[in-house]
Amino acid sequence: MKTIYIYITVLFLTLTACVDNPNVTEDDFLDNNNSATSWITGVKRQLALTMNAIVINSEMVSDNYFNNYTLYNKVYDIPQIDYTDIDGNSMQVEIGALREMAEYALETVLPNDPDATAQEWSYAHFAKAYALILSGENFTGLPMNSNGEAYTANELLEASLSHLDLAIDNESDSETILAYQLLKSRVYRGLGDIDNAKSSALAAISNNSLLFVVEFDGTNGVPNEIQNATFTASENRFAPLPRLDFLDPKYFDIGTATEDQKPLSLAKVEEAYLILAEAYTAENNLELAKSTLTNLIDNVLASRPIMYLDDSEELRNGTNRQDYPITAVNVSFESGQESKSGYILDRQAGLIPVYTVSGTSITIQDIDATASADDVLYLIYLMRQEIFISEGRRSNDLGIKFPVSQTEQLNNSNISDEFTQPTIPSFIPLNLGLDDFTADETTGNVTILYDMNRVLVANKASNHVLPFN
Amino acid sequence: MKYHKFILSTVIILASLLNVYGSIHPKHNTERYYISNNTINLQLKKASLIQVFNLIEKQTDLKFIYISNELYQNTKIDLSINNQPLEAVLKTLKQKSPIDFKITDNGILVKPIPKTVSEINQENITIKGVVYDETNTPVLGANIYATAYNIGAVTDYDGQFTITVPADTKTLKITYIGYENVDYPLEGQLEITVHLTPHFAALNEVVITGQGASVQRKRLSNNVEVLKAEDLAGLPSQRIDQLIATKLPNTQINFTGGQSGSTTLIRSRGINSAFLSSTPVFYIDGVRMDNLNTTSALGGGSAQGAAMSSIADIPMDNIERIEYINGGAATTLYGSDAANGVIQIFTKKGSSRGTQITASTQMGIIAPTTDFLYFDRSKDLLFNTGTYQKYNLSISGGNSEGFGYSFSGNFLENTGAQIADNNANKKIDFSTGFKAKLGEKVTYNSSFIYVNNTYNRNRNGNQGGYTGLWFAESGASVLKGFNNRLDDLSTAEFSEINDFVKTAEELQDNEISINRFTTSQSFSYKPVNNFEAKFVGGIDYRVQNDKAIQTNEYLTHTTQTNVTDEGNINNLERKYFGITLELSAQHKFETGKFSFISTVGGQLFRNSDHQIQYTGTNIRDGAETISDAAIKTSEEYLAEVLNYGFYFQENIGFKDKLFFDLGIRGDRNPSFGDNIGTQYYPKAGVSYLLSSEPWLENSTAINSLRLRGNYGVAGNLPPAFVNERTIDFDGFLGEQAAFFGQSGNPDLKPEKTKTFEVGVDAALFNNRVNLSVGYYNANTKDALFYVPPTPSSGYANSQLYNIGEIENKGWEINASFIPIQTENVTLSLNVSVNTLDNLVVDSGGVAPFNINGFSARTIQTVVEEGYPIGYIRGNYGTFDENGVLESTTAQSYLGTTIPDLFGNLGMNFAYKNFSLFANGNYQKGAYANSFDQQFRFLYGASDDIVPAAEVEANGTSNWLNFTNLFTEKTDFIKIRTIGMNYNLIPKNTNTIKSILIGFSVNNPLSFTASSFDPEATISGSATGQGGASTGGISYATYSAPREFLTSLKINF
Repeated sequence: MKTIYIYITVLFLTLTACVDNPNVTEDDFLDNNNSATSWITGVKRQLALTMNAIVINSEMVSDNYFNNYTLYNKVYDIPQIDYTDIDGNSMQVEIGALREMAEYALETVLPNDPDATAQEWSYAHFAKAYALILSGENFTGLPMNSNGEAYTANELLEASLSHLDLAIDNESDSETILAYQLLKSRVYRGLGDIDNAKSSALAAISNNSLLFVVEFDGTNGVPNEIQNATFTASENRFAPLPRLDFLDPKYFDIGTATEDQKPLSLAKVEEAYLILAEAYTAENNLELAKSTLTNLIDNVLASRPIMYLDDSEELRNGTNRQDYPITAVNVSFESGQESKSGYILDRQAGLIPVYTVSGTSITIQDIDATASADDVLYLIYLMRQEIFISEGRRSNDLGIKFPVSQTEQLNNSNISDEFTQPTIPSFIPLNLGLDDFTADETTGNVTILYDMNRVLVANKASNHVLPFN
Repeated sequence: MKYHKFILSTVIILASLLNVYGSIHPKHNTERYYISNNTINLQLKKASLIQVFNLIEKQTDLKFIYISNELYQNTKIDLSINNQPLEAVLKTLKQKSPIDFKITDNGILVKPIPKTVSEINQENITIKGVVYDETNTPVLGANIYATAYNIGAVTDYDGQFTITVPADTKTLKITYIGYENVDYPLEGQLEITVHLTPHFAALNEVVITGQGASVQRKRLSNNVEVLKAEDLAGLPSQRIDQLIATKLPNTQINFTGGQSGSTTLIRSRGINSAFLSSTPVFYIDGVRMDNLNTTSALGGGSAQGAAMSSIADIPMDNIERIEYINGGAATTLYGSDAANGVIQIFTKKGSSRGTQITASTQMGIIAPTTDFLYFDRSKDLLFNTGTYQKYNLSISGGNSEGFGYSFSGNFLENTGAQIADNNANKKIDFSTGFKAKLGEKVTYNSSFIYVNNTYNRNRNGNQGGYTGLWFAESGASVLKGFNNRLDDLSTAEFSEINDFVKTAEELQDNEISINRFTTSQSFSYKPVNNFEAKFVGGIDYRVQNDKAIQTNEYLTHTTQTNVTDEGNINNLERKYFGITLELSAQHKFETGKFSFISTVGGQLFRNSDHQIQYTGTNIRDGAETISDAAIKTSEEYLAEVLNYGFYFQENIGFKDKLFFDLGIRGDRNPSFGDNIGTQYYPKAGVSYLLSSEPWLENSTAINSLRLRGNYGVAGNLPPAFVNERTIDFDGFLGEQAAFFGQSGNPDLKPEKTKTFEVGVDAALFNNRVNLSVGYYNANTKDALFYVPPTPSSGYANSQLYNIGEIENKGWEINASFIPIQTENVTLSLNVSVNTLDNLVVDSGGVAPFNINGFSARTIQTVVEEGYPIGYIRGNYGTFDENGVLESTTAQSYLGTTIPDLFGNLGMNFAYKNFSLFANGNYQKGAYANSFDQQFRFLYGASDDIVPAAEVEANGTSNWLNFTNLFTEKTDFIKIRTIGMNYNLIPKNTNTIKSILIGFSVNNPLSFTASSFDPEATISGSATGQGGASTGGISYATYSAPREFLTSLKINF
């Protein structure tokens, strides 16, 4: 009798004493075929996630968009930036993931996979460079390696250049090479290096349709978050500054949202023109600057796609502020300025145009009408704001930079306190002033509190903005 | 469909009633009988004694008590009795048959007069006997005396003795240390069986949980709470946690919401973990149950924000007893899995003889608890009065050969107190238990449980979009263009908003269904009386389906925009499969003044948690499955845990009054890191029965007095495989994308709570005062903290490290009093007082992290060094003298969520067969935030709280900058139940043994310091089921409803 129980017990134990591990360990991954392709696709996915974190917060902290709902950050609109803020930390997590994934590709995955291609090497270098660019443009400083010491914004930008060169060296696609050239120009501009910025930008304008994007995949949980915030969500989460109303939304979906996620531009030839015009203005070559802007409108913007959308469901049904009218009303860029039409659309009146790559309110007549360098600079920064809307670039133009997060500092002893302070230039209005406006009670016409492009030009000598001045 | 089930269950109960009545009702062959003034009339020919007894019972208030005997059935007598008193009738019967009677309060005892008395007429007789203790274990070393002749004997290993005494010996005296003396009357028997009753019944009670095998309570250095079936009978409740909420003196069980099936927060000795919920581990008959302490990996679904309870499934009508040990040394033998304590349920395995049938029904009304609603009219908008019905049929029986069986079947239907039946619950369960002796040495026990549980779920606070309470109570109706000051609305305005809400509620379709099967099988092998080996094996298989359907019509209505292509169905399926195997052996040995109980055993449990999510979007209204969806997506999660351990325990007794309790368990588990081997859990304790000392033994005031103290270690397991460094994958643009998964931790091990405790237990004044006072200090040194990833590391997921230290300490005081105890009237009162001091002593340098709540800038419950676990953190605003916000300090301490004082209150009054009872819970010292209030301010639905000057100056833009204004104390006294029962024992029938009629109200009264329900505060903690949760945020959460229940229970 007793032995039967022992047998039964042993049998039970044998049957039950094993568990399936559903995870793939690092060694399993590297030992199997095709790890380079799988990893580089992962880097592309991470780039999309990183852009989501940057774009949402950059747009909010700037004057472009106001967070009109309970989701997303509630203090960046003020702007109030604390190193304890989890959204600041999230941006760093995503940037860190992009950089370390690129690093892991370069150090471990690609050398281990004999099937790795030159293009995969190129993309890994690009991703590393782009992580450093995002770090330098958006943060007062960040580490360049896991748990490493923090580097200043300029050091981060400088470090990206060698990786862009390696990306170019390994790349065979001519348009992609031009896009990387354009990124170099963007980095040089950020560093205030007029000559190098110009030479890289001149290379880029050889292709007037140059467009390098990051793609999203809604069905796999990587939707374009700014598309959701500005269009898809049934509440009006992100409300644009009224004078940018005609550019909202940049991204939209028809049918099932997850299936229709629009790509987001990382590098487009418009930027090369804008950098050149800004460089020429700094060199006081206003005519060349103006003709560059004219060329931008004629040669590039005129052929960028415009789509037409039924946006009648946009009812400004957010909760955090009283919004501007949903009819077409005029807008003044600042108190005392002309009240202009065409900026605020009546979305119930019919289809509205959507500038999926770039749109601007600036005409050739506006360019011709400029007289001074400051006039041109004003136009350049307004065009930058309009052309780059919903791409996460505006906060950098305003000189706002996020600090190293508390989590990084607590876990990483290399971070000194100086990096935990944000940069908010003194000319940036606080107390929600960036997004503030009034609407006339009778006409509904809107007057915006601050024309930040005017403020930028007035403060062009500041170290935080207008790097060529 | 629901009516089918209702009809089916009614038919079953009625059919069984008829059947029982038909089969048991005796067929009289009496010629005639009648009753007159308590005298008896009988005119019988050739009637059996049983028939005579039955007829006498009908004419008197007394019942005959006898052991089934052929003698009574086969002895036929003739009787002719006219108007004679009972005594005379009995005398007549004694003359006509070889039986004797004794009239007692309980009835007339009947016993046959053995023939041996007359037949044996020798000078000496030899009597053989066996002596058992209260657990039917043979007693070694009991003394047997024939005091008149100074002859004695002692029992052997098998409890047996032989004694030869003069034939005219009237009594034998049996004595055994720790037990009441027995004077056994000799009436000619040559073989006797003696059952001893312990001196201190409670301390001699045998417990199993935490001991590997059965051990008397007095030998243990810790407390074991035992609830017996009779403690639980007559308390109408739907769930086992509701049932025991006021019965466990040192444990707090809070009801986190009124959604059907929502989880309870159970905590006894504070919160010893920052990563695991404080819910204890549940066992049924030795088999570890799913207590949802695994990650809810795939979010969403209708359970979100109102975490499910797996305890709610457990059937309640087949429970023999419940044992509860609350951590520390008591749980050491459970090793890595028991720091939160263990609750073990033992199911009924049948009675010793005969067949008992119980049919019961509960019917009642479910009314919403509206005490905490801000607007009076929210009640009209969102609630109605529901109905409750429950039917139970239980059958149990057995014979004296050790065979027993029990069956219990239940059907429950509760329509809930919310409109559109959005909170209805339906439950069907069956449970069976068997026991049998397989030969002389082997005993077999088994139980089977099946449960089908279905809940409708309303949308909860933090689910986004429309939710009823948020819409009405938080003022969010303003977003849909309504005036959100509901009590100011005109009739027409109210009618409009009412229509909107009614439609929105009716269009919701969220359902959770659970199918659960549990079984336990055990064999016990007892070759000799002092050795027993036991094998327990069993499984728990629980499948939870959570289905949320959002139609285009619903989305169109609630968003007020024309939605045509967003209809969706989201399914979450969680399958839990757990196997428990345990083999233990116990050896008892006594020598001189010492007694030893050695227990050795091994336990293995393995469980898998398999979660699958499948979602269809762009689906036409009316579809019930995702097969018709334009887009289908799915996701899967699998975690498997294997834990195996061995334990050894030695309990040493000295003179049956001083006991040492030593034990150790060693565990291994694949989820420990590579650098971690076997984990050991030691314990050591002492129990000293002061009242067994000679100088106290005869005290009249002190019935029992015990001192106890111990040190023990118990653990919490890390989740499966989190020790490994992994690569994760997902699809991206049609390709496989690889990325960093978890960073891994080769040093990962269970967190260990080391508890030191001391206590005194006393029973005083004829056991009318029972007092237990204890102090504990529990320290979790290597507490598992989810360390947020260092951003620069490239990892996006938090990783568990054993870096924290959490301390809990406090007093546990429990007292019960019986101020009145007479023949007919009993009044008993009980009260418990527990203090709790919780502190995160060390966070290992980790940034404060939240366990629940929303984002850091709104409100969270946070773990931070130097604070209690899960304190409320938000923005603290200070105001100038005019009442305008002057400054805001972000992420400030706003209050603890853990009470520093809590306990139970109870009273029970009985007059004859009538009883009246009430019980409740209280807590003091905790806080919670009313996010509803904060929203009401934001949406302009309320002028309370925020100074008018601030509103004048800044409108509502600072709504998140003075969260301190919305944080309130959550002290409360809640009366959980008030009820009365009447136990009717019918005189004129043999069919029905008793009828219990009851009426009770659950959740009748709440006295709270807060404007909101202080218990319904786990909003924002969908992780309440997988992770630590302390409550602290009141946000659009329903309160547990009031239940007015009548019950009828018939025993056949």
